[in-house]
This record gives sequence, structure tokens and C-alpha cells, in this order.
Amino acid sequence: MSAAENRSIVLESAEALAASVRSGARSALEVARAFLAQADRTAPKLETYLHRMPESALRDAEAVDRKRAAGETLGPLAGVPIALKDNICVRGVPTTCGSKILEGYRPPYDAHVVERLRSADAVLIGKTNCDEFAMGSSTENSAYRVTKNPWDLDRVPGGSSGGSAATVAAREAPLSLGSDTGGSVRQPAAFCGVYGLKPTYGAVSRYGLVAFASSLDQIGPFARSARDTALVQNVICGRDARDTTSRADARPIDLEALEKEITGLRVGVPRAILDEAGDGLAPSIRASFEAAISAFERVGAKIVDVALPHAKYAIATYYLIAPAEASSNLARYDGVRYGVRRADGDLRGMYEATRGAGFGREVKRRILLGTYALSAGYYDAYYLRAQKVRTLIRKDFLDALAAADSLLLPITPTPAFKIGEKTDDPLAMYLNDIFSIPASLAGVPALSFPASFDAAGLPIGLQLVGRPFDEGTMLRVARAYEREHDAASRVPAIVTAAEGGAR
Amino acid sequence: MTKPAGLRDDAGSKYEPVIGLEVHAQLKTKTKIFCPCSTTFGAAPNSQVCPVCLGLPGVLPVLNERAVAFAAMTGLAVGATVHPRSIFARKNYFYPDLPKGYQISQYDRPLCEGGGVEIHVGEVRKRIGLVRIHLEEDAGKSLHPEGREGVNTTRVDLNRAGVPLIEIVSEPDIRSGAEAYHYLTKLKQILVYLDVCDGNMEEGSLRCDANVSVRPRGQAAFGTKTEIKNLNSFRYVEKAIAYEIDRQIALIESGGRVVQETLLWDSARGVAETMRSKEEAHDYRYFPEPDLLPVDLESSWVDGLRATLPELPDALRERLVREQGIPEYDAEVLTETRALASYYEETALRSGQPKHASNWIMTEVNAVRNKTGDTIESFPIRPDRLGDLVGMVASGRVSGKIAKQLFEIMLTDPAGPEALVQKHGLLPIEDAAALRALVREVIAANPGPAAEFRSGKEKTFAFLVGQAMKQSRGRAHPEKLQAALRAVLTEESA
Amino acid sequence: MPIDVSVVRKIAALARLRIEPAEEERYARDLGNILGFVEQLQALDVSGIEPTSQVTEGARPALRPDEVCPSDARDEALAGAPERDGDYFKVPQVV
Repeated sequence: MSAAENRSIVLESAEALAASVRSGARSALEVARAFLAQADRTAPKLETYLHRMPESALRDAEAVDRKRAAGETLGPLAGVPIALKDNICVRGVPTTCGSKILEGYRPPYDAHVVERLRSADAVLIGKTNCDEFAMGSSTENSAYRVTKNPWDLDRVPGGSSGGSAATVAAREAPLSLGSDTGGSVRQPAAFCGVYGLKPTYGAVSRYGLVAFASSLDQIGPFARSARDTALVQNVICGRDARDTTSRADARPIDLEALEKEITGLRVGVPRAILDEAGDGLAPSIRASFEAAISAFERVGAKIVDVALPHAKYAIATYYLIAPAEASSNLARYDGVRYGVRRADGDLRGMYEATRGAGFGREVKRRILLGTYALSAGYYDAYYLRAQKVRTLIRKDFLDALAAADSLLLPITPTPAFKIGEKTDDPLAMYLNDIFSIPASLAGVPALSFPASFDAAGLPIGLQLVGRPFDEGTMLRVARAYEREHDAASRVPAIVTAAEGGAR
Repeated sequence: MTKPAGLRDDAGSKYEPVIGLEVHAQLKTKTKIFCPCSTTFGAAPNSQVCPVCLGLPGVLPVLNERAVAFAAMTGLAVGATVHPRSIFARKNYFYPDLPKGYQISQYDRPLCEGGGVEIHVGEVRKRIGLVRIHLEEDAGKSLHPEGREGVNTTRVDLNRAGVPLIEIVSEPDIRSGAEAYHYLTKLKQILVYLDVCDGNMEEGSLRCDANVSVRPRGQAAFGTKTEIKNLNSFRYVEKAIAYEIDRQIALIESGGRVVQETLLWDSARGVAETMRSKEEAHDYRYFPEPDLLPVDLESSWVDGLRATLPELPDALRERLVREQGIPEYDAEVLTETRALASYYEETALRSGQPKHASNWIMTEVNAVRNKTGDTIESFPIRPDRLGDLVGMVASGRVSGKIAKQLFEIMLTDPAGPEALVQKHGLLPIEDAAALRALVREVIAANPGPAAEFRSGKEKTFAFLVGQAMKQSRGRAHPEKLQAALRAVLTEESA
Repeated sequence: MPIDVSVVRKIAALARLRIEPAEEERYARDLGNILGFVEQLQALDVSGIEPTSQVTEGARPALRPDEVCPSDARDEALAGAPERDGDYFKVPQVV
């Protein structure tokens, strides 16, 4: 295949690729080859993957082509390559969650979303890099490598799903899945200039997602268009008997309904939340936000003021609840049944040495914090109190979403920062999550969409928040914006610069 | 059993023992509480496991509906409140047989609260109150190879990890080892009646820890309590509690103070000793389990469950006393299990002889079962044949002695008693002529005693009756024989 | 809110985490900063507010029927064990 043919494939939407595979205009094999070739060129520089799956991807693609030849109906993601964050279990494939403690671990089962993707005839192409156990906002906490932002290799792609965001931005895959607990899909999506969706809590099964904070975790897709986001969300959402927190309420999103005008639709703007960010909010983000408001007004949406009075307590609330749940979820990594073991005398020594050597600093910090928040004498003041504040935050959102059909907020206070810039001060890193955490605590769906670029050419994303199980309205609003602006169509230099030279 | 030295005999009356029991019962569901692995006992190590009960990364628990039903039934049976909403919680600690590093249990919102169990010790009837019943998952088994040179490892089998348990916590209403024994017996009986648990302490389907303290009689405040573990039978529970009561009293009497600690019962030596490894006090960091929804029970479901409860031991016992007119004691023995009670009722109905049926079962049937170990379900004589036999004795068709012979035969011969009487020629001899002939033979064989009777010694009459019975192999009709003997002796003396 | 190194040791023991002595101060400082930050929650009046432990209102309870379903993942799962003794997992002796 020529470089030009490759390029035309990797720039296409997932929707178009699936249609062409279903119609026979393209084979799944050539689609897979094109993306694998693209990743061959850029992944070594971007360090997007922890484990690539070229052989099984080609086998899966061939199987899709055989199905088509046999006259069988192909699924909605026919032949579409998709990358998975390395905290999502794929049977027999290394799954490390970016941690040394799971080095070499291969799950003996597929996550529910993986089963859904396979049923839809998608092609799994690799496990992407992430912050260790999904704890971080830059993917610098991975024990294995640091993923680079495709728009500027000196900058972070965001986290914790940095690899999944970067791989889609770099056209190494048209789609990927990440996980979002406090912003880990939405923030890297914004830093990388792609769409990132955190579904309503319970819309997507967590069976096979390695748990970080159980009451907050959700698997969510990355894509380069609103329609593609809806396409993959439709495949992965829905009730799974193996996850009793998963719900049947997630109805499939009608892709054609996304094309409807948003005249009269109410977009709620909680202005106070920007003021709370103060100097931390970059002028470029503020400008993009104001421009988006104007853009929505121009296409007929009604801007309404809403208040989220308790959102300012969200970071503190989250950094008690999430580490507490994490400290318990990570207790199973003890070297007894799987993963890495470090011997050190007796049983207690083995536990301490295994976990001491296997976990990185941020993970240890959060385990300590969470253990403390749950410990005798502190539970009421910390964990229980945080849960009560969570009630207030959720109520704020539900009230605001009664007055508006969707809310508009920033998603990050700044564009992508430089690698190493925030690693010395954990608290400074946590403050990045100021706009993303509130929706996680409330359990409502939230979407990061590409809005514009700053003067340095770095992507700027913004956030829409929706009513529970109404992902469709947010995507419709994003689609309306996309029809005017299509920020996601710009291609990072590394994608085009990678060509040239003999192949 | 070793009694602590220095215990004065009257010290016991100065102090009141206060005991509470925590009982864990394994529920007889087919599958584990949070995954569909089998719970069959005795499988090869780590053969009944899956990603969920192994605690692999990414797995989630899903609650077994029958475990909830069994736990709710237990609550209903003891008169507890079954809460319409209860919540699971994580109990966090590290141990190799606890795969997730936490046990899913219930903490401040248990399934059931309150209720009680009636016991009687001798003549005294008493109600032991319950604090709560909650659901939780069992841990796996850690095996420490004993006596192997240089072995300092532990082996872990996770077949048992995830088996459903209910924890039944009593109020501190128990006042002696004997009361504890009766409480456990009664609790087991209820669980077996409900068919929710096998109640076998030796096999581990029923486990018990005891909390023991003493206080001066009349004091309201509790004394310091100790916890005793490693109690593997009802009798050990009784012994250990008695031991610990004496130990605490002796300690206080000699000026010491009871220390709050956990003790292990050593059944070989009959003492309770401080656990050798002094762990720091556990901080379990309980918090609500985020992966499980609250257990919400519709009142119609609970009512439906209540309707399926079998007749429980106390109600069944009272009904038998009332309807069958048998003594309390008999009813208590006959209601040991539902199967035995059914066996009795069918026998009583068939024979029309409730009191006789009771005697036969309590003495003859149970004597055989004690020797052979048969359950009542596997006992070879079913109520229809036993009922017929009891009826035959009551109507005088056969004597008690003959009936016992028939009973023995019926253990191996499946024929009915009437057929066996014919087959073995066991009909009673009632014919006057036959009896007179028999009597004459006996008199002829025993001239001396006959003469003695005729000369006035009444005592020899019984001897002659015995001889005649022996000669007839028990078949002679007792009253008619005596009449015939007296008649013949009197005649011939004339 | 300053956290003492002794507190870090105690919590690390509860969590079975080995923290090297050279790192203890750093963790104490980081924890202290974070706990200082979350102190802001103490200012809120939360009297009468129910805690939220799950955002799943309206979800219907999901119970599993009591039917055996043997796992096909068993052998693979056991194959990943760091140390085995036959079919058992092997660990250093529990004291």
C-alpha cells in the first residue's frame, strides 16, 4: 500500500471505514494494515502503547473479511481498529495498568466491553499507556514509559488515559477506549484535540475494568467526531449481569438525530466556576469558552445562567473518596495469586516488599491517604463527610440540568503542560482536575470536545455535561459546534512528517 | 477438665457470668454468594474457583438470591425484624485466604435485627435474645503443614472463599456453659429445620466464638470480656465457657483484673490460652461496598417467604403435646428433626396409638439407630409397618414380647407384621384346650414347685408361669395362661 | 495539617506498604499538604445530609439465580500464580 493510500485510510472516520468494509469497498485487512503501519512510524516516538497486537489484529481483520465473503452480516464497527487502555482486561494479553506489580500478568477473561467490541467486528490493535492504576493527570505516573503529546512531544498527552487519547490524535487508530474516574478520558481528550466521553455512571459495564475508585470509574471512548463517539458508545453501553451497577437505561444514540439543529436548546453556563479557578485559568481557555458561548448563541441555542455552588469543594471531596476506595481495591495486589512477588522472610515481609516495590509513588500516596481517611477515628471527619458533600454536588448538577438541557464548562484550566512541569507537587497536579471532577462525583455524563487551538498550536477542549443517560443531547450540541468549527480535523505534524523516505 | 487453683466453692454465687455467642453458619446454597462457583464440600483444592472469587483484577461481585432468601428465612424463624433495606460493607484486612484483601460483609445496616431463641435447661425455660443476623462471604482455607521438617510455608485453597455465611450474634443473655450448649443445639435445630445449613461444627458448617465476662451479682455494668475461639463442638463450647468463668472469678478473687484479649481453646489440655501471635488491634476500616446495590426486599417477597417456612420446633412440639396428648419430654425428643416428627405423626396415625407410638420410637427405634447410625429417613421400618405393629400390640393380637421379636425380624425382612406373624408362627396361644395341655406339661415337668404351690406357696406360681411362657416361646396369652394354670393347679389339688 | 512520620509508618503498616526511611519525610509532607487542602470541607454545614456512596438511584436490585456455572478460566488463572504447591497457592508461613 502506498503512503497516500495509507493516509486516506487513517484520516477517515470510523463510521466511514465500517461502511466501506461492510460494502466491500475496502477489506478489513487493508484497513488494519494502514493503521498498523501508521503506528509503526509514530508509536516509537509517542510511546503510546505498552503492548501492540499486530498479529492478532491482522487475524481478526482477516476473520471479518471471511465473514463478509460468507455473506454474514457485519457489526457496526466492522474492521475498525480500536486501542484499549491497559487497565481493560483482554484475555491472554498483557494487562499491566501501567504498574510493575502486574508485570507479565495476562487476564484469563475478556472485559465486557471487549466482548461487545468483538461482537461488533472491531479489530483490537493494542493496549495503551496510562498512569499507574489510572491515578494521574499526565500519564507520567506509568511505571513503564512517558507518552508524548502528538501536538508537541515535549508536552504531556494528559492522563490517566494519555496513550488512548494520543493514539487517536496521531491517527494510529480511529477509536480507542479509556477510563474516566475524575477526568481521565476528558482531560487527555482536550490536551490531544479529540473527543472524549465519560458516560453516565452505570451506562457501561465495569466488568473487566481494573478498579481504581468503584463508585466513580467508567469506561469511555475517544474519537475524532461526535458521530464516531456515538457509534462506539452505542456498542459498549448497556446492562451486564456481571456488573450490578450497570444499567439498562442507556438507550442507543440515534446518529441521525445528532444532525438536528439546536435552536431553542438551553445551554447552561455556571460562570462562578471559572472565577473560582482564578489565575489558574489560562486566558486562551477563557477566550475559547467565551467564543463557544457566542457560537452556540449564533446557531440558536439559549444560554442560561446556572449555579453549581458546591463545585468548589469537588477536588477535596474527590481526593478523599477516590483514594479511600482505591486503598481497598488495590489490597488484592499482594503477590499471592498473580502478578509480581517479592520474597522477604515471612508473610508480612512478602506483602510489604511486594507492594513497596511494585507500586509507584503516586499510587502509594493515594493508598496512604485513602487508608487514613477510612481509619478508626478519622472516618467520620474525612470519608463520611466527603460523601455528604458529594450529595450536595450531585444535587447541584441535577438542579442545573433541570433548568438547562446541557451545561457548558471548561474541561482543563490550561492546554497541555510540559513533561516534568507538575511532577514535584502532587497537589498542584490534583488542581488540574478542577473542572472535570464535579461531573464524576455527580455521576452524570460529560463530553470533552475539541474547540480551538491556542497561539502555540495546542488544542483547546471544552466540556459539555448532560442529564443521566442522555449522552445524545451533549453529542448533538457538540455536533452543532463541529459543523461550524471541526477542530478535530486538523492533523498533528508528526502524522504527516512521519512520511517520506523509502517504505 | 482443669479447674483454676484457688477457686472457692461459694465464689460462683457472688458473680454472674455474662456470655454472648457469635455463630457463623454456612448456607446450603448450590453456589457461592457472589459468583456461580459450586460450594460442594471436599472438592480438589482450587477446583471450585473463578476470576471473581479469586479476586482477579477487574472482577465484580453479584449477589446470590437464594443466600438472601436463606438469611431472611432464618431471621423470620427467630422472630427478628427483616429490614427492607440492608447494605453490604467491606471489612479490610490482609490474609492469604482473603483474596481481595477485604471481606464483603454487612456492618451498620444488617439484614436482620432482634429476635430470640427459646431454650430450656432442666425445668427452666429462657429466651436468649439476638442482636442481629447478617450475610457475609467465607474466606478460603490456609493450611499449615504440621510436622514437616524445615517447612515454613502455608498452602492456600480458595474453594471455600465466597461460600455464603450468616453471622448470628446473640445478646449477652447466656449465663453458663450449659445454657450455651442448649442455645447452640436449639439454633442448629432451627437451621436444620429450615434446611438452610447442615449445622455441623466438626465439619465447619457451623462455627462459634464465645464472649465471656463476669460481674458481681446485682451490678448492671458489664465486666471486661474475653473472646474464645477454636471451639469445634458444642461440648467444647460448654467446657470452655465453664473454664473461663472459673478462671475470671479466681483471677478477680485473688486481686487481679481480667484483660480484654482473644483466647484459643485447647481441647486436649482443657484450657483457654492467649493467642501466641499478638496482632495489633484490627482496624477494619469498614465502608459501604460500592460494587453492590443495597439489598431491597419487597414486603410481598418477605411475606411469600414467611408462608414457605416449615413448622418450627417449638410450634411442632406444642402441637404434638396438644393433639397427641403425649408428654412434653416425649414431644421434645420426637421433634429433634422434622423427619423424626413426621415419622412419629405417621406412625401415630396409622396405629391410632399416639402414646404407644411415642414409646416405641423413643425406645426401640432410637436404640437401633444409636447402634447403626441410621437417620430416621434411612431406618428400614417405615411408619406404615411400625404403625401396624403398634396397633397389633394395643389390640392384644400379639404380646409386647412377641412384638419385640417381630420388630427385630422387620429390620431385615420387608414384610408386614401380620404376614410375619403367620410366617414365623408367632400367633399367640389363646385356645383354652391348648393352654390346658401346655400347663399340664409344665406341671408334669415341675412336680416340686407344683406341689409347693398347692401347699400354699404363692411365690412358685410366678415361676410356673415363667416356665410355661418359656415353653411356648412367649406365645402364650399372658392372662389366659395364668387363668389356665391356676385352674389346673386348683383342680388337681382337689 | 502536618502529619508526623510516625503516622506514615502506622498507616503504611495497615496498608502493608514498605516505605523506605529516606522517603518517609516526603510522604509525610505530601500527605500533610493534601490533608491540609481537604480541611476546607470542615467548613461546610452537612447536618441532615445523607451520604452518597453510590450514584445509582433508581437501579433495580440485581440478584443472581443459585445455579452452578463452572468457570472456563480456572486453569489459566492458576497458571499465573507466583508460587504453587501442587494445586495450592504457596506463601511464606502465616505466623
